[in-house]
Amino acid sequence: MLELESVTKRFGGLTAVKEVSLHAQPGEILGIIGPNGAGKTTLFNVISGFYAPDAGRVRLDGREIGGLPAHRICALGLTRTFQLVKPFGNLSVLDNVMIGALTRVRAVDRAREEARRVIATCRLEAFAKSRARSLPIGLRKRLEVARALATRPRLLLLDEVMSGLNPAELVEMIAILRRLHGDGVGLIVIEHIMAAMMRLAQRIVVLHHGEKIAEGRPAEISRDPRVVDAYLGEEFVLADA
Amino acid sequence: MIRDGFLLDGLILILLWGAVSGAWNVAGGYAGQVSLGHSAFFGIGAYSAALLATRFHQSPWLGLLVGALLATVAGLVIGYLSTRLKGPYFGLATIAFSQVLLIVASRWRGFTSGSEGIPVPFRPGLWTLGFQSKVAWVYLILGLAVTVYLVARYLETSRPGYQLAGVREDEDAAEALGIPSRRLKVAAVAASAALTSVCGGLWAQYVGFVDPFYVFSVDLSVRFALNSIIGGIGTAIGPFVGSLLITSLETYLRATFSDFKAGLIGIYLIIYGGLLIVVVRFVPQGLVGWLGERLRAVGRYARA
Repeated sequence: MLELESVTKRFGGLTAVKEVSLHAQPGEILGIIGPNGAGKTTLFNVISGFYAPDAGRVRLDGREIGGLPAHRICALGLTRTFQLVKPFGNLSVLDNVMIGALTRVRAVDRAREEARRVIATCRLEAFAKSRARSLPIGLRKRLEVARALATRPRLLLLDEVMSGLNPAELVEMIAILRRLHGDGVGLIVIEHIMAAMMRLAQRIVVLHHGEKIAEGRPAEISRDPRVVDAYLGEEFVLADA
Repeated sequence: MIRDGFLLDGLILILLWGAVSGAWNVAGGYAGQVSLGHSAFFGIGAYSAALLATRFHQSPWLGLLVGALLATVAGLVIGYLSTRLKGPYFGLATIAFSQVLLIVASRWRGFTSGSEGIPVPFRPGLWTLGFQSKVAWVYLILGLAVTVYLVARYLETSRPGYQLAGVREDEDAAEALGIPSRRLKVAAVAASAALTSVCGGLWAQYVGFVDPFYVFSVDLSVRFALNSIIGGIGTAIGPFVGSLLITSLETYLRATFSDFKAGLIGIYLIIYGGLLIVVVRFVPQGLVGWLGERLRAVGRYARA
């Protein structure tokens, strides 16, 4: 459904993403890992329409989307969350999610109903009336997911929605993502927490210095010498073994 | 019924300045594009009405329409700027725009009568917008105020309004959620400009004289913003509450200090400035928001 072909993005002399090709199947959970500065978030920005690629193609269901504005790409069924969460701080949680729902549902009342359903899916009922600004970070991450989900994406790009969560919140977030997966939503997940990633992702792509250095099932990735070298380190393999 | 001309005049001005401020609030409050040059649109409206009546002998109603169209075009340009310039830079650009119009209006003597200004002819009748009775003006300006209020209510309850709130809060997040943020911002600024222009046209008809140094002044732009900020920015009723306070205060000060020497004429500026500091420092949500919180607090106390 999503297909990247030799996508490159440069900032002046720096090549942040270099000839990356990858694909995501409908309903799949694809993980993207890599050290800081590997180009993961830049790649998300290119896919979701915040940057135009300098070279290469981005296709959604066979249609070229590289360079389209973000709101158009969202309308085509691909939505993303932000690593540094961007809640509508002065609005309530319900209004935040409803603004997402209004993209598909034109009537405000029906969008509000839909927002309530999404809020329930994401276990935010108790905070529906709270100002988004007042939520702790764990709940703000969940709001970020809920709001994106309200736009009814077929493919959802999640940028570190699990980092900064306490263990209980982490369990809850994984349950939410599993449920989305069960509903047939495709997920592309950037994450630093390897344990969670290994359990969640069906396939993992590893980026290093903007290039794809490995791709495969979690078990394969964790044993790949290039990945261990660039990112995971010896201890991870030992701990895993 | 009030028959006192002084009070009726005060009421008309409170409603009129409230309406302009409400029009400003569409861009400055709901879209988050704080303009300090809205007198540009007010002046466009005032001049359109005055010039159509004096130079082309047309009905001022047509002047209102022409003014609204011209202001919409100007608003689209300024709205486009708002997608390029952020915060204070946008504010400065709007000031510059109003000052350019001031220079044009005060120098183009052959058409605008330059700095002398234009007396708007009084011709009695609804079609010519000339009313002997101030009560008629009260109804007309009340209609204007209600229209502006309803536009604001629309922005609080409709799909585009909610989406605009998202854009105001975080543009990137709004884009990612499928909201065409630029288009919405530009549309909001253009609508705000058109409404402001209509207010300017009616003001010119009511006052009967258009002076370029007044209608394009930064003073006036600041007043539009000030009413909203003091009353409650981004609320439908806020600009009117602000106008009630500021306009009555101004009328009172003018009446009180009119006998004094020129040294005290600027005192209203000091009082405006002081009020602004107090509000921004202690009640940044404005009087409406502050009152709302107090009432809720009392409600909680009463239930407990």
